[in-house]
Amino acid sequence: MRTRILDRLVEIVGTMLAVSFVVYLVLEANAGDVAVKVIGQFSTEAQRALWMHQNGYDDPFLWRYLRWLGRFVLGDWGVSTHYKVPVWQLLPLRLGHTALLAGSTLLVMIPVSFTLGILAGMNKGSVFDRLISFFCVTTTSIPEFASSVFLAAIFVFWLGLLPGASAMTSGFRIEELVLPTLVLALYSTGYLARITRASMADVMDAPYIRAAMMRGVPPGRLVLGHALRNALVAPVTVIMLQIPWLLSGVIVVEVFFAYSGFGSLLYEAGLNSDIAVIEACAMISVAVVLATQLLSDLLYVWLNPRLRRGKPQAVPLAAPAIGAAP
Amino acid sequence: MSRLPPAFRRVPVLIGFAIVGFWIVCALLAPWLAPFDPLHSLQPLAQPLARDGQGHLFWLGTDMLGRDILSRLVYGARTVIIWAGLATATAYVIGIAGGLLAGFHRGRIDRALSFLANVVLSFPVLVLYILIITKLGASGFNIVLAVTFASAPAIFRIVRALTLDLRERDFVLAAITQGESAVRIMLLDILPNAAGPLIVDACLRLGYTAITIGVLGFLGLGLPPPTPDWGGMVNEGRPMAFAFPHLILFPCIAISSLMLGLSLLADGLRDGRPAAFKPGPGGAGAP
Amino acid sequence: MTAPVLRIEGLTVGLPGGGDRVRAVDDVSLEVRPGEILCIVGESGSGKSVLLSAIMRALPRGLGQLGGRIAVDGVDLAPLPERRLREMRGNSMAMIFQEPMASLNPAIPVGRQIEEVLEIHAPALPAAERRRRVIELIADTNLPDPPAIARRFPHQLSGGQCQRIVIAMALAMSPKLLLADEPTTALDVTTQAQILKLVRRLCDTHGHGILFVTHDFGVVADIADRVAVMQDGKLVEIGPVADILDRATHPYTRRLIAAVPRFTAASRTPVDATPCLRIAGLTKYYGPVAALDDVTLDVAAGSTLAIVGESGSGKSTLAKAIIRLIEPSGGGIEIGGRDFARLRGGELARQRRLIQIVFQDPFGSLNPHRSVGTLLVRAGMLGGLSRAEAQTQARHLVARVGLKPEALGRKPLAFSGGQRQRIGIARALAMRPSILIADESVSALDVSVQKQVLELLAEIQRETKLTMLFITHDLRVAAQIADHILVMRRGRMVEHGAASAVLAKPSHPYTAELLAATPGQIWERTRHRLFEAAAAEIPSL
Repeated sequence: MRTRILDRLVEIVGTMLAVSFVVYLVLEANAGDVAVKVIGQFSTEAQRALWMHQNGYDDPFLWRYLRWLGRFVLGDWGVSTHYKVPVWQLLPLRLGHTALLAGSTLLVMIPVSFTLGILAGMNKGSVFDRLISFFCVTTTSIPEFASSVFLAAIFVFWLGLLPGASAMTSGFRIEELVLPTLVLALYSTGYLARITRASMADVMDAPYIRAAMMRGVPPGRLVLGHALRNALVAPVTVIMLQIPWLLSGVIVVEVFFAYSGFGSLLYEAGLNSDIAVIEACAMISVAVVLATQLLSDLLYVWLNPRLRRGKPQAVPLAAPAIGAAP
Repeated sequence: MSRLPPAFRRVPVLIGFAIVGFWIVCALLAPWLAPFDPLHSLQPLAQPLARDGQGHLFWLGTDMLGRDILSRLVYGARTVIIWAGLATATAYVIGIAGGLLAGFHRGRIDRALSFLANVVLSFPVLVLYILIITKLGASGFNIVLAVTFASAPAIFRIVRALTLDLRERDFVLAAITQGESAVRIMLLDILPNAAGPLIVDACLRLGYTAITIGVLGFLGLGLPPPTPDWGGMVNEGRPMAFAFPHLILFPCIAISSLMLGLSLLADGLRDGRPAAFKPGPGGAGAP
Repeated sequence: MTAPVLRIEGLTVGLPGGGDRVRAVDDVSLEVRPGEILCIVGESGSGKSVLLSAIMRALPRGLGQLGGRIAVDGVDLAPLPERRLREMRGNSMAMIFQEPMASLNPAIPVGRQIEEVLEIHAPALPAAERRRRVIELIADTNLPDPPAIARRFPHQLSGGQCQRIVIAMALAMSPKLLLADEPTTALDVTTQAQILKLVRRLCDTHGHGILFVTHDFGVVADIADRVAVMQDGKLVEIGPVADILDRATHPYTRRLIAAVPRFTAASRTPVDATPCLRIAGLTKYYGPVAALDDVTLDVAAGSTLAIVGESGSGKSTLAKAIIRLIEPSGGGIEIGGRDFARLRGGELARQRRLIQIVFQDPFGSLNPHRSVGTLLVRAGMLGGLSRAEAQTQARHLVARVGLKPEALGRKPLAFSGGQRQRIGIARALAMRPSILIADESVSALDVSVQKQVLELLAEIQRETKLTMLFITHDLRVAAQIADHILVMRRGRMVEHGAASAVLAKPSHPYTAELLAATPGQIWERTRHRLFEAAAAEIPSL
């Protein structure tokens, strides 16, 4: 177990280095472009040359990369050209907002998906199962921007119950959290419920469940004591993999509801060519993805006694792309 | 009904097939189906079922630049399906090639390809899109590039897992013992037997790609205007959505229905596949 | 006369439509008395497993009881509500299955699973008493260190150990009736011998009535009091074991018994001594574990070597190493005097035709998407023939293995297990090899089909002077076909010699152990008389 974690950590560091290299390459390979973005489009050639010289952009690319990497690792993440403040000042608030949204989404999503999935998987093929499957398919077919539109139409414009924007300008208001959470939860609940259902149905078909039934184990005990333990392994690992998606994949919801989270920070940085912010956000995102993958693997092994001996097994697929599931 | 292959006999699958078929027809026959030129400004912000000066009917109304929404939807289907189709196909070619090689040869090739795939997969997709599109500009080709990048590693993983499993089957081992070339084994023995799960994945992935293109349009990172693009239509219409809901309602319904159709189709294909190998009479097993 | 623990009258179970048969079980009547073991024998598709499921009232979806009465311990099962049935299951009637690890929940320690049975059916029992009883039950099955075993998970135990746990669970409430569905089929022969002894002992001491399903007549000979033979859902013959084994009246029974290979080495013509295959010091390591440890032997051209051993003996690894499906860690392989072990790339691909293999699983060894014809033609072409020559050869091969010419155009799905093995043999022969390896090629077949395939292989060998390596765990099969026998254990060669010598006078204690564990030996001695008689009166299949 210990060697496996060690291997994975090496892998993680390697991946992060590779990603940082690619990000830096794409964004800062052309020093001239960087100068334009920092000083502005209307700068003269001379001003740019001066700036480049002053900031070390005359040096060869690899040297610049290593310098940047060194500074980054030590905590110097540069200054945002758009907001004009150091990058690390921008992050805590945004990350906090995103964590809040992620937390509330998980709080809704997990109990609902598990309940629906388990009930559907137990009664495979029944009317109930088909209704739930239909519900799941429908909710995962509606992209977030569409469901944002529909829900906003209902709750904001028609019923007037909830505010249309969730900028949290007057501090924390729970009404502002409702719609974004609902949109995200609607989408991911369907997806997680389907995974849970499939897992539950598989387990219920397993020979050891039949054998337990032949020993006279009553249905309640069969499900709670025997089936669940094995059926929840897959959904739990999927939840772990949803977390990176809740970090940056929810950009649509943040934009639509003007919720100032991590995703919208990245989006604005992209639109405004705010290089330092993009770099920092990219590294944070990658770190979260890799950390949750590692956690998911460990959890998978822990939950599955068969694997504790050290047999290699396939890593579950990565998190969904923006607006989509894997 | 009984003449259809078993996968297609259930109602949800037929509905899915009908929806997807409908949009494909729209895409193919757009010039003949659309009542107006999607780029032509006619009468701004007309309501659905209103008529213009010459008595032409705007079935779904017009947008703020006066373009007929129904026509834009129909042409938008073409945009979505072509670009989503292209992106998915490219991702598949790359993913299948990589997955087969990694799964079949294992060892160093597998480690290298898997590392590569992991690096790309770890890249938060949003960052990927922003990087590509801000660097290279927004065009159909770049969107295909971005989406391919995002999807190929996942496909690689799926194909690799299938290949690793199939590679241990006796009929593949038999081919190896007969001196069959690796390429032929991968293409003739492994790939056809992996086709089932891959087709199911393809349907879903096509849908997700279509949605992704929609999302990119919504975020303003999609195809440049005035190309009709469902996501872009929602983005453009958003500021006025309160007063003119038809601007964003119909594109949303369009994209949701396409995804729904593909999901139903995928579900049906997944559940309805005839049992590939039901062991018949042949024996009491022994180790 | 004590009342029977199980009485079945006219039981009929229907199959879902669309198959070639309407009834899984057709008008079966039988009785099991306390303290007796009734064995049900039959080939696959005979309905014996469905019969057991019907008794437990747990038929799979799509199958329904159409008629008849089932009474356990005098109680008619038909009118009972599900709750009452649940009370009986695990309590007055219990079942054990073929796959031991599949019956146990992989996420719960085995002791807890046994305890659960007691919790459900004896709720009044205090916890401490329960746990004591669990240890007692485990000890009863001859497992060492019961408290330690009780804490383990199923995957930490061997197949034999798991099966004992399953037996302990089944007997926890001292059921009157025990149903066993091929419980030893998936176990090694030595483990099987121990489990059979255990079952017999428990039955004698506690007086359970046992309904034991098996396909192996050797097992029947060793533990049964009475035997019932099933064919296509019907009960064809039933009676005391001695009557059935020695004096069976129904032609199907006689045919089945005649198909069981005899356990004495068949008389074989001595073979030419020039070796076709030479193996020297072959080794294969997986990490620190030696799957193959210094295997050295010669196989004479045109002879058959049977490689026998239990699971983990390395016999399959040896086959795969010789044919270079896995790369040996060390050692030499020579085929027809030429070095085979060190060939690479294109040269290896060309020389591969010298040695071919037929696999165990008839259902996994053929690509479901390619037709038989394509398969054979491709094999022929890889062996150096032109397309036209390969096509002619394909037609010839299909006939040779006893299939109709139409088979060339069909896909594997259309064939039965025995037919698929024939196709596998045809594919191997298409390359005109010098050596044919059969890796447990008849283990997954019914005994009558097995006999046909073995005869086919023998004929082909006579015609083509093929050298054969036959991997099997079944010493009877080895006895029937081998000139020489190699016994393996944990990757090492244990004994190697002429078949008649190894079987009659083994020099290594492990070989003796294997021979002693093979079921049905006492029967074997009286059997050869019946064999001669049956062979004389029944025409060849």
